[in-house]
Amino acid sequence: MENKKEQVVITVLGISKPGILAGITRAIADSNVNVEDVSQKIMQGYFALMMMTDFAGANCSFEEFQNRMQAVSDRLQVKTFIQHEDVFRFQHRL
Amino acid sequence: MLFSLEEVIDTISAVGVETFDIRTITCGINIMSCADSDVNRCADKVYEKVVRVARDIVPTARILEKRYGIPIVNKRISVTPVSFLASAFTEPTAVPIAKALDRAAKELGIDYVAGFSALIQKGFSRGDQILINSIADALCNTERVCSSVNIGTSQAGINMDGVYRMAEVVKEAAQRSADKNGLACAKLVVFCNAVEDNPFIAGSFLGPGEAEAILNVGISGPGVVRAALENSENLSIGELSELIKKISFKITRTGELVGREASKMTGIPFGIIDLSLAPTPAQGDSIADILELMGLERTGCHGTTACLAMLNDAVKKGGMMGATYAGGLSGAFIPLTEDAGMCRAVSEGALNIQKLEAMTCVCSVGLDMVAIPGDTSVDVIAGIIADEAAIGMINHKTTACRLIPVPGMKAGDEVDFGGLLGKGPIIAVGKQSPKKFVTRGGRIPAPVHSMKN
Repeated sequence: MENKKEQVVITVLGISKPGILAGITRAIADSNVNVEDVSQKIMQGYFALMMMTDFAGANCSFEEFQNRMQAVSDRLQVKTFIQHEDVFRFQHRL
Repeated sequence: MLFSLEEVIDTISAVGVETFDIRTITCGINIMSCADSDVNRCADKVYEKVVRVARDIVPTARILEKRYGIPIVNKRISVTPVSFLASAFTEPTAVPIAKALDRAAKELGIDYVAGFSALIQKGFSRGDQILINSIADALCNTERVCSSVNIGTSQAGINMDGVYRMAEVVKEAAQRSADKNGLACAKLVVFCNAVEDNPFIAGSFLGPGEAEAILNVGISGPGVVRAALENSENLSIGELSELIKKISFKITRTGELVGREASKMTGIPFGIIDLSLAPTPAQGDSIADILELMGLERTGCHGTTACLAMLNDAVKKGGMMGATYAGGLSGAFIPLTEDAGMCRAVSEGALNIQKLEAMTCVCSVGLDMVAIPGDTSVDVIAGIIADEAAIGMINHKTTACRLIPVPGMKAGDEVDFGGLLGKGPIIAVGKQSPKKFVTRGGRIPAPVHSMKN
């Protein structure tokens, strides 16, 4: 039976350079979080990445995942936001 | 993809750049079960009940902040008006209850606890007298306790004895906290038409018509509205109103989400979401800035009342669609020291207390965090409270006064209360005395509820 999904939106913003997507997705995979959809753009010279993920199978708590991602983001010099999808659904969908 | 990158960045930048937050989750707790003729025994019961019922509020808020990436600035508690309990006290003091509430707040990591309150629109009960006589003492001997007294309603009229007594209490509280610039007054509100489900401090209490325990949510968001209006140069009034409605909707939805989830996690029912735009002293998080972006040279100039009326109405219209139950005060707040733009308008001479009073006719909630000269007489303070209450009574809306007669300061001086309470100029008040009128005693009869012109 399929587990209940827990959708989490990961957004990464920063100055474009090689290795951001690789570094971020490696960290996500290490936490056993499943990437379901990816959208990436260069907006006015800035790297903007958004991923829809399923957190249900993660091997750590939400807070621990945020801390892990924070460490990777600091190393890559980008800003990462990890938020439950509810907040976007409530704001942008009727 | 469920959301576009633009939508996601819109939400993220609201928090990161435009200072959007949830101002408060306020847990209302009925403390009538703590009744006792011994005030100290009652205080022990109040402490025990508050700590028990609200134990999960702060941890829950922390989890939700992380989950949604939205700061929840304050976690607060409101209780049944303490005057109800005070009626039974053998010893005529309610100060031990305030101290118990303060201890409970500190134990739980709660920012403010409110409900050291009385409802005296038609007269004083014994409990009301005990509570009111204890206010100055209570506020000067606690850190997080807030007090409010309702002195009028549209149904009952205005209790002028209550108005005068509260003017005395305001003065006393200021003098007794002179070493902190009269800070005790920042925790004291005098209301007309107080609401029973207000999550905002200092006027929050759990009304007698409310449930055993309830969670109410107060949003913030002037910064988000201001950011949206920055590119509104060529919009007509109607388009401006639409824009504000949309922003208000989004802000409210976030509050709705937080309220629902907090309720689920704590098992305490979700009461209402208060659709108020609550400013903070932070740069850009200002109602005055919004009014000026809408086209005023400075807040306080002619046209300000109309501009504010439209803003307030648009915020409500947008927010009501986003909330299952809207309630509380629901409107734009125009506190003085908590809003850097409002303070700038006073300092530059664009905004005076008369215009501020006119502005309170069209928005919530009244003369809020208004620092006045320390030598302002009780008679003049009573006159200011009575005027504000009359506006509320006749217009069927909540109005309030949170006045701080700052000891030793005069009009034009600058006072700093720190933190969310902010800093700003002392505003000048009228010199002539309403003494004869405000000391006549009795009540202003309830107004006519028909023939509305």
